[in-house]
Amino acid sequence: MAAPNTVQIPPKLTLTLLSDLTPPSLERTWLTAPHPTLPLVATCSSDKTVRVYSLTNFRLLSTISGGHKRSVRTCAWKPNVSGESVLATGSFDATVGIWRRWDSYGETMGWRRQQNSDPEASLTEGAAGEVEEEEADEEEEEEWRFAVLLDGHDSEVKSVSWSASGMLLATCSRDKSIWIWEDLDDGDNNFETVAVMQEHEGDVKSVAWHPAEECLASGSYDDTIRVWREDIDDWGQVACIRGHGGTVWGVDWEGLETGPRHSTEVVSGGKEEEEWKQWHALSGPRLASCSHDQTVRVWQRQPKAQTSAPGVGAIPSIIRPSGTDEIWEEGAVLPSAHVLSVYAVSWSRRTGLLASVGADGRIVVYEERFVATSQTEAMDTDSSPAHEANPSQHPLTEWSIVAVVDGAHGIYEINHVAWVKRADRGRDESTEEEVLVTTADDGSVKVWTIAR
Amino acid sequence: MASEMQNENPTILSSADLPTRLRASVSHKNSTYGSEFFAFALPSLTDGTVKFSDNSPSPSESESDDDLMEEPIDEQEIFDLISTISDPEHPISLGALAVVSLPDIAIKPSLPNVPDSPLRTVTVLITPTITHCSLATVIGLGVRVRLEQSLPPRFRVDVQIKEGTHSTADEVNKQLADKERVAAALENGTLMGVIAKMMETCQ
Repeated sequence: MAAPNTVQIPPKLTLTLLSDLTPPSLERTWLTAPHPTLPLVATCSSDKTVRVYSLTNFRLLSTISGGHKRSVRTCAWKPNVSGESVLATGSFDATVGIWRRWDSYGETMGWRRQQNSDPEASLTEGAAGEVEEEEADEEEEEEWRFAVLLDGHDSEVKSVSWSASGMLLATCSRDKSIWIWEDLDDGDNNFETVAVMQEHEGDVKSVAWHPAEECLASGSYDDTIRVWREDIDDWGQVACIRGHGGTVWGVDWEGLETGPRHSTEVVSGGKEEEEWKQWHALSGPRLASCSHDQTVRVWQRQPKAQTSAPGVGAIPSIIRPSGTDEIWEEGAVLPSAHVLSVYAVSWSRRTGLLASVGADGRIVVYEERFVATSQTEAMDTDSSPAHEANPSQHPLTEWSIVAVVDGAHGIYEINHVAWVKRADRGRDESTEEEVLVTTADDGSVKVWTIAR
Repeated sequence: MASEMQNENPTILSSADLPTRLRASVSHKNSTYGSEFFAFALPSLTDGTVKFSDNSPSPSESESDDDLMEEPIDEQEIFDLISTISDPEHPISLGALAVVSLPDIAIKPSLPNVPDSPLRTVTVLITPTITHCSLATVIGLGVRVRLEQSLPPRFRVDVQIKEGTHSTADEVNKQLADKERVAAALENGTLMGVIAKMMETCQ
């Protein structure tokens, strides 16, 4: 089994602190959400505000306040909006806020605290549903406008996520429910409740949309991950994934373009990669999850082709999943690197690297590689028609730890990690370089470069 | 709180029998339960419910520790922080009710594989007065909040129900270990009112 080329140690990556985002919150920060297009991030804090920082100079641009009565736990930028930025915020006060700002801000230098009173003013107007975009005067163009408050959850909102199209917003709460809202985009800030899903048996800690499809994943205090889709007008659970031995704190989807890395001696574009791509095209993006059980896991969907294929090996129809049901299986438990709760996992949509953070104050980065298989064995399966009948067979891969930073935020717990496109002057413009952004209990947010 | 008492007749230990470094202040505060200053050194009246473990640091040892390290925080100090919390149901301290006890407190490095990490995990096992006490979560939350507010942030607080002492221990433990739920509880005025009342008896 142990061919000489499997022994080699993958080249390690080096994480280096690039900058803190300043000035920081003085209270716990929970999450930092990267803007889909602009070099901005939004950081949620227990001080009931959201801070928007620039990734070009790592300075605070503006503070969104006045909308929530308790900690802001989560936020997400709406994708596919032009000329304007739209932010959804979720709070322990059980509400979700929608905020808007024209993208021209930052180009003018006048944003610095000149219209301090505006958020309050627009908040009042927004609550009464009277704000019309056309009415926004020049002063308001510089400020965040409180657009609408989505009311429905019974207790703390834990996570919010926009679908890839930006049409749907998912929110989840300690009340064990997930709500899906449709942004009607009617210029009047109207949102329609599309579905309320209550299958989870505990707090829903995290929701994340599939990178392309209208398919939602959720992680919960009931230790499960669930997958949700719409089937003829009705949203419902299509999979309940068990395996974690504790609260599932976070879920994240694999990107559409990434995959395992080759061992250095294997030429890219080889047979392994082709086979893997074929399998992956049928199986779809995988899910990563992290848990109180201190593990990070990767889950994969059994390719649809398999469950619908008749003949040898087909599941007897009585237990065959019907309709939209999906079978998800554990693809991997990543090498153990955390000794306390793992709070967040982020799967790079550009490099395929995974990063996790948690209560132990560590940042861990993992890389997936093809496991070198014996050539003859591989030839056999390749030439056999059995390969067609069993598309779930795919080249073996293996995850390894490629970077660990201990005490990344000193003695503090790290609540969130995200991959973000690098935007400061030091970046290499020829590559789409990414940085890691980590968010901690002391209010600090740090930006890390990663190099081979 | 509860209109009916969960446990109307709890066993109460004399505060004088409880291990402490805060002899003067504790005996002063709980003078109704005995103020014998040197009862500290006497054998426990309740015979084994609260024992002095032989390996608990003697005063001279901890003094020499003080010289080497600044402010060492040991199990005794943790006990002193939480034993004076009042039970939400009785005006009696958790120490006197033996809900918390010195042998059920442990301090360990949080990252055993990182020798120079300053992180420490404080584990406190609490023993509810009766096995179905629905106030166990509130008591546990009180202990966790008290320690998080008193200890430096390098301490990770782990409060659990002692095994075999409660019917829904797993459920309570899961809640107490959930950082997000604890954070939300701290913003819940009603709950914090109860916790604040429990802590009125702490100095």
